[in-house]
Amino acid sequence: MLPFNNGFASPLWHNGPIPGGLYNFPGHNGPASQPKKDYGVQRASQPITTGTSVVGLKFDGGVVIAADNLVSYGSMARFQDVQRVFNINNKTVVGAGGDFADFQCIKRYIDQKIIDDMCYADEYEMKPKSLYNWLTRILYTKRSKFEPLWVDIVVGGVEDGVPFLGHVDLRGRSYQDDVIATGFGKHLALPLLRERTETGKPIGRDEAIALVKKCMEVLFYRDCRASPNFTISVCTKEKAEILGPFKVSQNWELAKSVEGY
Amino acid sequence: MFLTRSEYDRGVNTFSPEGRLFQVEYAIEAIKLGSTAIGIRTPGGVVLAVEKRITSPLMEPTTVEKIVEVDRHIGCATSGLMADARTLIDRARVECQNHWFNYNEPMSIESCAQAVSSLAIGFSDSSDGGSAMSRPFGVAILFAGIENGAPELWHMDPSGTYMKFLAKAIGSGSEGAQQNLQDNYSPDMTVDDAVELALNTLKQVMEEKLNSTNVEVMKITPEKLFEMYPKTEVEAVISKLQQ
Amino acid sequence: MISAENFPEYNVPGVVKHDFHPYESNGGSVVAIAGDDYAVIAADTRLSSGYSIHTRKQNKLFKLSGTTVLGSTGCWCDTLALTSLISARMKMYHYLHQKVMPTNAISQMLSIIMYHKRFFPYYVSNILAGLDADGKGVVYSYDPIGHCELASYRAGGSAGALLQPVLDNQIGLKNQENVAKDPIPKEKAISVIVDTFISAAERDIYTGDGVIINVITKDGIETRNVSLRKD
Repeated sequence: MLPFNNGFASPLWHNGPIPGGLYNFPGHNGPASQPKKDYGVQRASQPITTGTSVVGLKFDGGVVIAADNLVSYGSMARFQDVQRVFNINNKTVVGAGGDFADFQCIKRYIDQKIIDDMCYADEYEMKPKSLYNWLTRILYTKRSKFEPLWVDIVVGGVEDGVPFLGHVDLRGRSYQDDVIATGFGKHLALPLLRERTETGKPIGRDEAIALVKKCMEVLFYRDCRASPNFTISVCTKEKAEILGPFKVSQNWELAKSVEGY
Repeated sequence: MFLTRSEYDRGVNTFSPEGRLFQVEYAIEAIKLGSTAIGIRTPGGVVLAVEKRITSPLMEPTTVEKIVEVDRHIGCATSGLMADARTLIDRARVECQNHWFNYNEPMSIESCAQAVSSLAIGFSDSSDGGSAMSRPFGVAILFAGIENGAPELWHMDPSGTYMKFLAKAIGSGSEGAQQNLQDNYSPDMTVDDAVELALNTLKQVMEEKLNSTNVEVMKITPEKLFEMYPKTEVEAVISKLQQ
Repeated sequence: MISAENFPEYNVPGVVKHDFHPYESNGGSVVAIAGDDYAVIAADTRLSSGYSIHTRKQNKLFKLSGTTVLGSTGCWCDTLALTSLISARMKMYHYLHQKVMPTNAISQMLSIIMYHKRFFPYYVSNILAGLDADGKGVVYSYDPIGHCELASYRAGGSAGALLQPVLDNQIGLKNQENVAKDPIPKEKAISVIVDTFISAAERDIYTGDGVIINVITKDGIETRNVSLRKD
């Protein structure tokens, strides 16, 4: 019963449209106005196998991106030796968080593009800003179709000698900054990184790697979905390289002093 | 072996070995059968004047519409196949309104001419899946308009070429008329001078005697934009010419 | 039907269920004031989601032409998509009509672009500032579905409701007696804008970190930066 046709008020007019009712455009009163048999489609719009935080930092002359080697299945540490940072080429690197299958789907396109670029043999390579913008548009288009690719991608690299660091999420929301962290790293790693960058002093390559390693350690201790094994990608204008895998040197001595459980 | 001309004028998309598109050239020839139309640009506005061929005394002369308003700031005079002209004018009107709707500003005269031009050269276009049109439009158009307070006159022919003019004549009497315009145009003439020059030119090239029913006159000014001359005013100018 | 509702035993507490929402509020505020021969527009530089700050130095002002600047906040991914579409359309206009698109044409085009997505809107709060054909400052404000309104001063974004009354008082001189309603000098407009942002940063957690100000005059667009509280 429509609200306007209650027992107190008579309909505004008979055989006419009902105020507040739903209408089709004239000429479309046929099958369209019949109750729909098709209830639409349901898609799994939640992440299944997930990677946790990715941490990225710009330093003097390059960028560093780190992520642990775990891909979880809910709360289960399902795949424990999966590298989540990649060198696309010598000037572009990415780190992937969120649904790993969705990222692999995107990665296949990027890999094919790298092969295409190589086939042309014209010295052209995907630049970090191009990849960053392409990812933004792809992810925005997918979110607009309500078919999100549930990923959090950190893009880094060196373009024209200038370090680049950007973050794109599942909605196609993107931004660039000197420090970027996704997932739990937003809460735990970002303050540590900002504390250092906001001093304004230049950061060297070694310090940047040490800083990111510290972040991975903190994340391991406090993020239930993190693993002690992690990989770091470092990109300078000379080259991009993968360092690791590293392992957090764990120290649980403190745990013995915790009482009262 | 060269094929004769007649074998290269069947298709609208085929160049002749000399590099000519005969159907387009024929269409340009078709304009020369049309009634004469004249456009004159002055600093104070643009004047359009056309000859109307009244082929029968039983015909209602006002239904021959050779000068039309495209938008408040653009008027057009056409010569050639009137049915084709309607299609082009309709496009011009739609484009002007579309531009106004999208950008809340009057469309520039050049852009309007360009939009019509892309329809005019569309005769050879079969890219949208449909087949190419059978022939080019047999129409030449004079666009008179006001852009940012300044009067402009543009001319477009069946090949889709459009150009800016100070004064231009099209149609059957165009050759003589253009010469007359060239001899008598002056850059500092007033709108009234231009009306006189236009009608005087028409008078010289028209076969029939010039009167207020067989010509149409329009002026477009920055102040009042598109205005047709009422019959009485046309009569007044004509009587002035005869003195 | 295989869906989560049919398996209540799986709905144990603590299990996080994700439901996809295409929109996200990324905060940010924009303020613009138009004068007789200038327009000033400013936006803060904080980009956030909830309690997380993504970056403290996000420029939200988009220079569309030498006389027009758009400030856009709300769902940042929509802002990015909308502003790239606008600049593409601006270029197409330039090539087609052989002139730079004037401010009032941009204002109309923006309205239509936004209304085209009436049923899946760009979730953004836009303010357009610039000079009109006569060189006079103008400000246009928009709602997410393309309603466009010409104003002489406007605040929008997450602290829009906080800032607009301040402008009504300081710039509009609303409901005041015995005040001279003189034209607002440029520097006065800028200082009022800076003050509004300082105020907004006190109470709106989505506004802060810094302000980027664009001063649009016939001589060009001047950019100024001011710091805000970063907590």
